[in-house]
Amino acid sequence: MLTKEQLIGPLAGLRTDEVVVTTMGIVRPWGRVSSSPLDFASADSAMGHAADLALGIALAQPQRRVICLNGDGSMLMSLGTLATIIQSGAKNLILFVVENSTYEIIGNQPIPGAGIVDFAAMARAAGFPHAFTFDDAKQYESLLPNILRLDGPVLVAVKIRPGNEGPLSRRQEEAAGYLKVSLAQSARQLRDALARK
Amino acid sequence: MIQARLIIDQLKATQVTHAVGLPDNATAALWAALREESSIKPITVTREGEAFAIAAGLWIGGAHPVVIIQNTGFFESGDAIRGCATRMRLPLVCFIGYRGYKKLASIQLQPAIENLTPDNLSRADVDSCGLLFEPTLRAWGIPYQQIANDTDLPKIAQAFDQARKIESPVALLITEDTV
Repeated sequence: MLTKEQLIGPLAGLRTDEVVVTTMGIVRPWGRVSSSPLDFASADSAMGHAADLALGIALAQPQRRVICLNGDGSMLMSLGTLATIIQSGAKNLILFVVENSTYEIIGNQPIPGAGIVDFAAMARAAGFPHAFTFDDAKQYESLLPNILRLDGPVLVAVKIRPGNEGPLSRRQEEAAGYLKVSLAQSARQLRDALARK
Repeated sequence: MIQARLIIDQLKATQVTHAVGLPDNATAALWAALREESSIKPITVTREGEAFAIAAGLWIGGAHPVVIIQNTGFFESGDAIRGCATRMRLPLVCFIGYRGYKKLASIQLQPAIENLTPDNLSRADVDSCGLLFEPTLRAWGIPYQQIANDTDLPKIAQAFDQARKIESPVALLITEDTV
């Protein structure tokens, strides 16, 4: 199993001009390693819809890779999105499933199918050309550079140790910059940033 | 009945780039026509909530989407509409097939809050989708108009204008089949 830092550290180091969409227990940790105007927190938004929101951005920005750091609980809420992604033809989406097997921000209640459900297998069955599962930090870090260059869509399931992130909020007191503004403001900031680039 | 081709002309006039949703009987002809249209990319979803999240992502990315679903899918989409459309202040026009409209009209039962009783909602001769639809739209603060035939086409441009002004979703309720 990896720690969250072992998941996001190498990714932040390799990231260039990709949009990164985060949700749930990965929102604050990502905000600690990145303050890019191309980051977007699916927080105070619709539960379970980070992957499809990321798909929308990917479809509008086909020249740019879009990375979604989705939770496993969130992914289970919208498994049909795997088929929608394939049908849409988007090749620039890299969908991470951060597998801690719990609904972390509400106190680590176990998700259905914890330890049984195989997200990479489901993605392959849906037609994803590339799908990976990692539970070793060194292997993940060594393969990540090539994964980020693949023609997708790509699903990357990473098994991590549960953390202790609490409920998310959007207010000035939050340390992560992208949580200091409202959802509507955040959406417009990203829209403006993409329009400028 | 409303001609699908004329709806698409309206969408093209407002530079819509993507149509996201899930077909139903009323919008089947519209989806078929969209598949023939090169300027608007149709994206079919597995469940209607995805349509609102995808539309939000498209808009953030600089595209100009519309959502096309049935009212059953509107109900299913609840949190997605709340979290991706209204909370995000998405200036989104949604075409929504009004299942149950004709049945209500034929028995003269108004889709009003006072008629949302357990008895009415479970009546065999009432489609509860029709009974719940407009009260739910009003409860959710989503402005709407009905479109039934070609004379209603100007309402499409009005809906886009309104969505832009209020920076929030606006619905067009399709009460007759597109052809």
